Amino acid sequence: MVAPYQSASDTRYGEVFDRGYAHYDGKLLGRRHAWWALTVYSMKRAMGIRKSWTAKILPFFLYLAAIVPVIVMVGVTAVVPRANIAGYANYFGAIFLIQTIFVATVAPEMLCVDRRENTLPFYFARSITRFDYVFAKLAATALLTMTLSVIPVVILWLGRQLVADSPGQAMRTHLDDLGKVILVGVLLALVIGAIGLAISSLTDRKAVAVAIILVLFPILDGIAGVAYNQIDASWTKYLLFIDPNAFLVAFNATLFPYTSDSAMIQDANWSDTTYIIYMAAIVVACALFVRWRYAPRD
Amino acid sequence: MTMAPARTSAQPNGQVARTPADGAPPIIETRGLRKAYGGVVALDGLDLIVPRASVGLLGANGAGKTTLIRTLLGLSKPTKGTGRVVGYDILTQGTQLRQHVGYMPEAEGLPSGTTAADFVGHMAEMSGLPARAARQRAADVLYQVGLAEERYRLIKGFSTGMRQRVKLATAIVHDPDLVFLDEPTAGLDPQGREEMLELVERIYRTMGIAVVFSSHILEDIERICDYVVILDNGRLVTSQPLAGIGDVQGTLVVQIEGDLAAFSSLLVERGYQVERGKDDMALNDLIVHFTDDEVYDAIRDAAVRLNASLRSLRSGSRTLEDIYLGDVGAMREAQDVVS
Repeated sequence: MVAPYQSASDTRYGEVFDRGYAHYDGKLLGRRHAWWALTVYSMKRAMGIRKSWTAKILPFFLYLAAIVPVIVMVGVTAVVPRANIAGYANYFGAIFLIQTIFVATVAPEMLCVDRRENTLPFYFARSITRFDYVFAKLAATALLTMTLSVIPVVILWLGRQLVADSPGQAMRTHLDDLGKVILVGVLLALVIGAIGLAISSLTDRKAVAVAIILVLFPILDGIAGVAYNQIDASWTKYLLFIDPNAFLVAFNATLFPYTSDSAMIQDANWSDTTYIIYMAAIVVACALFVRWRYAPRD
Repeated sequence: MTMAPARTSAQPNGQVARTPADGAPPIIETRGLRKAYGGVVALDGLDLIVPRASVGLLGANGAGKTTLIRTLLGLSKPTKGTGRVVGYDILTQGTQLRQHVGYMPEAEGLPSGTTAADFVGHMAEMSGLPARAARQRAADVLYQVGLAEERYRLIKGFSTGMRQRVKLATAIVHDPDLVFLDEPTAGLDPQGREEMLELVERIYRTMGIAVVFSSHILEDIERICDYVVILDNGRLVTSQPLAGIGDVQGTLVVQIEGDLAAFSSLLVERGYQVERGKDDMALNDLIVHFTDDEVYDAIRDAAVRLNASLRSLRSGSRTLEDIYLGDVGAMREAQDVVS
């Protein structure tokens, strides 16, 4: 039997009766609602919500790893005000690896699973376009990464002001710093997230995507650093731009006081606007690449 | 913007809330629809006007059924031609169209690590339902497809038949005007196939949702559809109602071992019109015209009375198989002549 359908008059005690089919007469929201539903659902899945507890372990520890340095930095500053270890640029430099691991966890979950399990026909048969799908995945990745790149650093900013002699005055004085840390956090999330998504769009195997994302940034860092130190030519100043870690640190150095050990970063004399435009270009290029990967092949 | 045909009033627990009205606009209209992949023509100038019905989309593998469905959903851009589905333009109103049309793809493609309720609810939201309504609809529709108890189980533990039902639930969860079902019985065992056919029949007859049922199995289409579109090599062979096929009136072709003349006389005495087969190969056939199903009793009684053996009894009416083989064969012959 398909389902125990029976008219109400025929039912006996304990039998399931046919409750009939009711049409949906509520309102249908539009494409924007569908896009947001996909964004939220993708974020939940990537964080292991409504999945087994093992899927939640890694995100939990990564959040812990991002928050603990903040607490330590604020604590040390409270006890030893002259220690000056609670620098924003230092913090962004320190959490780059955590961000990379986080994106390596989240981005393949966003794209690879749908491709591997062949779920895409279900999505594309809904009231979204392929661009909406890609844009929702990018937004979900970026929003999740921002929870790691923006929230801890905002807490850091708040902690730094609260340990000052006059917290209210300190907050007003350093309000521009808050804007800057949010800007850096957002750009960091967008750049690493977009690169992670572009890599994930190349394969339907999560493990492969995770491995590529994890090794890509150290490899680029190594290549750029070695080439900059070994080659004596004027064009080597552009090597900074193939190393996301380096140009993010260099961008930080234009906004906050920071001293780097890297000669390439010390020598970089680009303006903050140049970095912002370059990072925006990376995000757009990655989004277009992913869109191309999801273009209909007919 | 052109709006879709108005839906009839919703009737909670009603049996048929959207019955096809006389003179209702067609659910599918295409004009010169052509789709080519490089040099390969998948759809060749299709002109279709399909009424609101349970429509069988019939054709061999590679005939263009899936391409037609994808094109009608606005997922694949036609090389040439135009079309409207439930009143929406397939070229310019794809996203609106898909809010009012459901699609059950042929390929296996459900996320294994999620529950049926979660995924079906998510698909409802993706079709525009608010979150709470989507969860409610998912529960209702999973009940309708017979998965009420299993809805909170992970899909990876489901059998093929259960997975097909989840796919069906995703296709109707937003209460569409029309649902495309691409080979829904593929890969099912006989019982699973039977249950799926019952469900598909319910979708149109009870839920009032028009159905386009793609299959290469004649029997399935003959059983649950009342309109058929036949494709062959991307060309339209026929698009016609199936009314009359399987009716209780028509002709029966009877073969017996015994006295044909006496057998014929006995049937005539019972009021049936009987004639002998005309072809050389059918001289021993008796063609019995009938208008009720008591003819079978009459044939049995005549055989018993004459102590004749009944060798063969088959319908003389044109079956879907006759239509398919005849029309497809004629089209291929015509193409051969042209080429």
